[in-house]
Formats: sequence, C-alpha cells, structure tokens
Amino acid sequence: MLEVKQLSVSFGAVRALDAVNLVVPRGEVTAVIGANGAGKSTLMRTLAGLVKPASGSAELDGIVITGRAPEDIVRSGMALVPEGRSTIPELTVEENLHLGGLWRPSAERKATSAEIYEMFPVLAERRRMRSDTLSGGERQQLTIGSALMCDPTCLLLDEPSLGLAPLIVTQILQLVSQLAREKNLAVLLVEQNAVTALRVATTGVIMNLGHVVRVGSAEEIAADDELRDAYLGS
Amino acid sequence: MTTFIDYLLGGFSSGAVIALFALALVLVWRSTRIVNFAQVGQAMFTTFIALAVQVATGSWILALLAGLAAGAILGLIVYALVLRPVQRLDTSGSIIATFGVLISLQALASMIWGGDPKSFAPPVANDGLEIAGRIWPISWYDILVYVVTAVLVVALTLLFTRTSLGLSMRASAFNPEVAKLSGIRVNRMLAFGWALAGVVGAVAGVLIAPTASLSPNSFDILLIFAFTAAVVGGLDSLIGAVAFGVGTGLVLALVTGYGEAGDAPIVVLILLAITLVVRPGGAFGRGKSRAV
Ligand SMILES: Nc1ncnc2c1ncn2[C@@H]1O[C@H](COP(=O)(O)OP(=O)(O)OP(=O)(O)O)[C@@H](O)[C@H]1O
Ligand SMILES: [Mg+2]
Repeated sequence: MLEVKQLSVSFGAVRALDAVNLVVPRGEVTAVIGANGAGKSTLMRTLAGLVKPASGSAELDGIVITGRAPEDIVRSGMALVPEGRSTIPELTVEENLHLGGLWRPSAERKATSAEIYEMFPVLAERRRMRSDTLSGGERQQLTIGSALMCDPTCLLLDEPSLGLAPLIVTQILQLVSQLAREKNLAVLLVEQNAVTALRVATTGVIMNLGHVVRVGSAEEIAADDELRDAYLGS
Repeated sequence: MTTFIDYLLGGFSSGAVIALFALALVLVWRSTRIVNFAQVGQAMFTTFIALAVQVATGSWILALLAGLAAGAILGLIVYALVLRPVQRLDTSGSIIATFGVLISLQALASMIWGGDPKSFAPPVANDGLEIAGRIWPISWYDILVYVVTAVLVVALTLLFTRTSLGLSMRASAFNPEVAKLSGIRVNRMLAFGWALAGVVGAVAGVLIAPTASLSPNSFDILLIFAFTAAVVGGLDSLIGAVAFGVGTGLVLALVTGYGEAGDAPIVVLILLAITLVVRPGGAFGRGKSRAV
C-alpha cells in the first residue's frame, strides 16, 4: 500500500503540489484525473524520486521513500512508467526490457521476462529489433514490461494512453487492472481521459491546480456530471 | 613497392596506439558526452608511474599493472573532483575543465619527474625482424602492441554488447533518467566509464613510451591524432575509433615517408576538416543515433 501524506512541491513560485493526501491500496487501480497542469505528473515524478518535495512524505508498505534516490525507490518496490513512452530507441526491444531490475538474481529475472514475453507476444517476436521500430502501443507494452521486470509492489503509470488509438487504450487499461488484481499491485494511474480511466479503476481522485479536490469510488465520480464540468472540461 | 610496404608497416604500430587513445576518448564520450582533452595528460602521468615501477622492480608486467591501476584511479579522481562539479554548468565548461586538468597534470609531472625526456625499456626486442633475408620495420614489440590492442578492442566490445554492466553503461549514457527509473546507479556507471577510459589510456601510454621518449608533453601531438580518429569514427563507435586510429597512423607514415615529417599533423587536420564537412556524424556514426 502507498500512502501519501501532506506532500507539497514547488518550482520557484509555482506550487505544483499542495499538501496532497492519498492512499493507494494493493490489488486495485486508483485513477488520478485532472486537466493540464493539475500536478499529476509532478505527483508521479515526486513519488519516483525524480523531484524533491518541499514537505510531506510518502510511504510504501510503511517505509518512507521520499528523499531517497530514484534507483533506490524502484529497488524498494515502486516502479514508474513515465509520461511519453520512455524506451531507449538505440537499444533493442530485449535490451530495453532487460534494463529493468538488473539488481535482481538472474534466475528470477529470467522467469519474469518469460512471463512478460508470454503476456506481450509481439515483444518476443521483435526482441532483436531496435525499439524505435515498434508502434506506439507496442512501445507502451515494452515500458510496462520493463517496469514489471523491477518486480514492483506498486506501479505508477503516467498517461499510458497518450497518443494511442481508442481500441489500444482499452486493451492497455484492461491489462493494467488485470495486473493489479493478479499480481496484487497497488496501481496509481494518471489519465486525462477520465471516462476510460474510471472504467478500470476502483477509486477516483480528482486533482486541480496542485490540490486533491475530490476522492471517491470510481462509479460515483464517473456519474457526477457537475464534477466533470468543473474540473475535467469534457 | 617495398618502401611503400615499409611505410605501411611502420604506420600500423603508431596507428594501434592512436586507436587506443581514440578508444579512451570514445569511452568517456559514450558515458558522459564529454570530450576529455586531459586523456593524454592522464596517460602521460600514469606512464611516469609505470616507469617508476619498472625502474624499481625491473618488471614490465608490474609496470603495466601499476599503470593500469593508476589509470583507473586517476580517471575516477578527474571525474569526481573536476567533471562532476563542472558538469552542471554546460558543455564548454566541461571542455575547459578538461584542458585545465591537462595543464595541471603536465605541470605536476614536470615538478615530480622533471622536463627531460626519459626512456622506457620495452619488454621484448624493438628491432626490425629479419624475414627472407631482409629487415622489415616490424618488431616483436610491434606485434605485442597489435595483440594488446586487438584483445582490448574485443574485450570492450563484448563488455558493451554482452554483459549487464555494459547494458547499464549504455543506458546511463543514452537516457540517465530512464536508467535511474530502471534501478541503475547511473553516477556509478559514469564514474566507471571514466575509470575504464583511464585504463585504456594508460595501456596506450605504456605501449607507446618505449617507441618514443617520455616527457610531460610527449603525448600532446597524439591528442590531435586520437581526437581526429575518434571524431571521424563517429565518437560513439568503438570500431570507428580503432579503424580510423589505425588509418591515421597509416596516413602519418605515408606523409612522413614520402613528404616532410612536419606536414603530417596538417594533413591529418585537413582530413578531419573534410570529414566534418562531408559527414558531420562521422563515418561510423548514424546521424544523431549511436552505434556500438
Ligand atoms: N520542471 C518544472 N519546472 C517548473 N515548473 C514545472 C516543472 N514541472 C511542472 N511544472 C509546473 O507544475 C505544474 C504542474 O505540472 P504537471 O506536469 O505536474 O501537470 P500535469 O497534471 O501532469 O499536466 P498534463 O496533463 O499536461 O501532463 C504546471 O504549472 C507546470 O508548469
Ligand atoms: Mg502530465
């Protein structure tokens, strides 16, 4: 379980996160939705250790992770799939996948990668090709696979659907909720596309200008038209 | 015809050493996107240390090992003390810093060992071999240089393409943020890249010292040749650095043989200028992308 307490981040005069509180339980998807500039990516990057918070903390299964380096945070079980598919184009599909979790014993890594290739057969077919030959959806599978190689207990996904065709978006998000259930992962999913995200999520969190303005069950939030008009502009 | 072959053979051994220096430049470039102009200075310094060990023990192998260790340590020191703090500035800041390191190392070497050229005894004979009743400009020592160069190139290629360490180093250079998010200790990988380059430079220094003399400035000219080879080879390509390092050695030998020795550096610089105009990415570079 991931617990965020009073987390605040400033970029100069901009208060990108203001005392954010959040609980992400294991085994389900928690969706964070909000308009551009709401602070969603800042929240994810701060949790992953890429941005230093001004105050507040985050705990993963009771262990404080804020203030630690990104490479230590991922080793303690929290993996981020950042905004914009972050594969390394110069490396092959297999090399990109194997980047994740290099600190783990090789027998365990082999087992995980076999599992991932089974989940994403396209990656197995293309393993020796450069990763920039993949389509957008395939590359998203690769980044998720690479995060899974780190054997996380908590998975952070920042707009995995960005720029993908609707059919692929549905596939990816369904896979994410399946992963949460089957691997008992705490999944924090950031999306601008509220409707699709809330369909796979258990809990919805609405952010605006660095604040959490509403937390509720996904159905409740999806049904609230006023909320949608006020914060999501859709 | 035999003169031509003589010149080429002579060019191969200087080319092999230029190739090693070019490799060291490529290793640093690949890990930190910096051209380390102090590389030959570091090699000069570690070669002096190797010479001191050889004088004290009489063993070339011990001298080589001392040079390697000193190369790794000096690479780490330069990275930690100078480059890491300066890197936050910008590229030109880093380049000026490496020049600063070069000048400091030369000054320090002059203070410790003096400015007079010293000779470094080779481990095997460096006299031309007699084959088919003729003496050729290739010695057992040259053959040793070829073998060491070849072994290093193969070992480095395997390291980068076949091992987790090599994969971590490449990922750290291509995209530090993605590497960190994957759990790779990026700063350690960059430091390792500098240490590795220091080792390769140290090997080059110890290998070239017996064929020339050793003084605080004696490797300066090699910087120009190695830089040319590395840039023409694409800066990111191990194979490119080696191919053009050897190529530069051959060009030097031919120009020196058929023309004036003093013209050689000019010819190399002209070749560099032509390459930069015709193929800015280098012969083995692929535009903005990078080859193994
Ligand atoms: N590195 C940075 N430096 C300065 N300001 C930043 C930085 N990163 C984000 N911000 C600012 O913080 C605020 C929140 O940005 P953030 O990227 O977290 O929003 P977001 O909800 O992810 O938006 P989007 O939906 O466009 O991805 C914005 O005002 C943004 O301009
Ligand atoms: Mg964002």
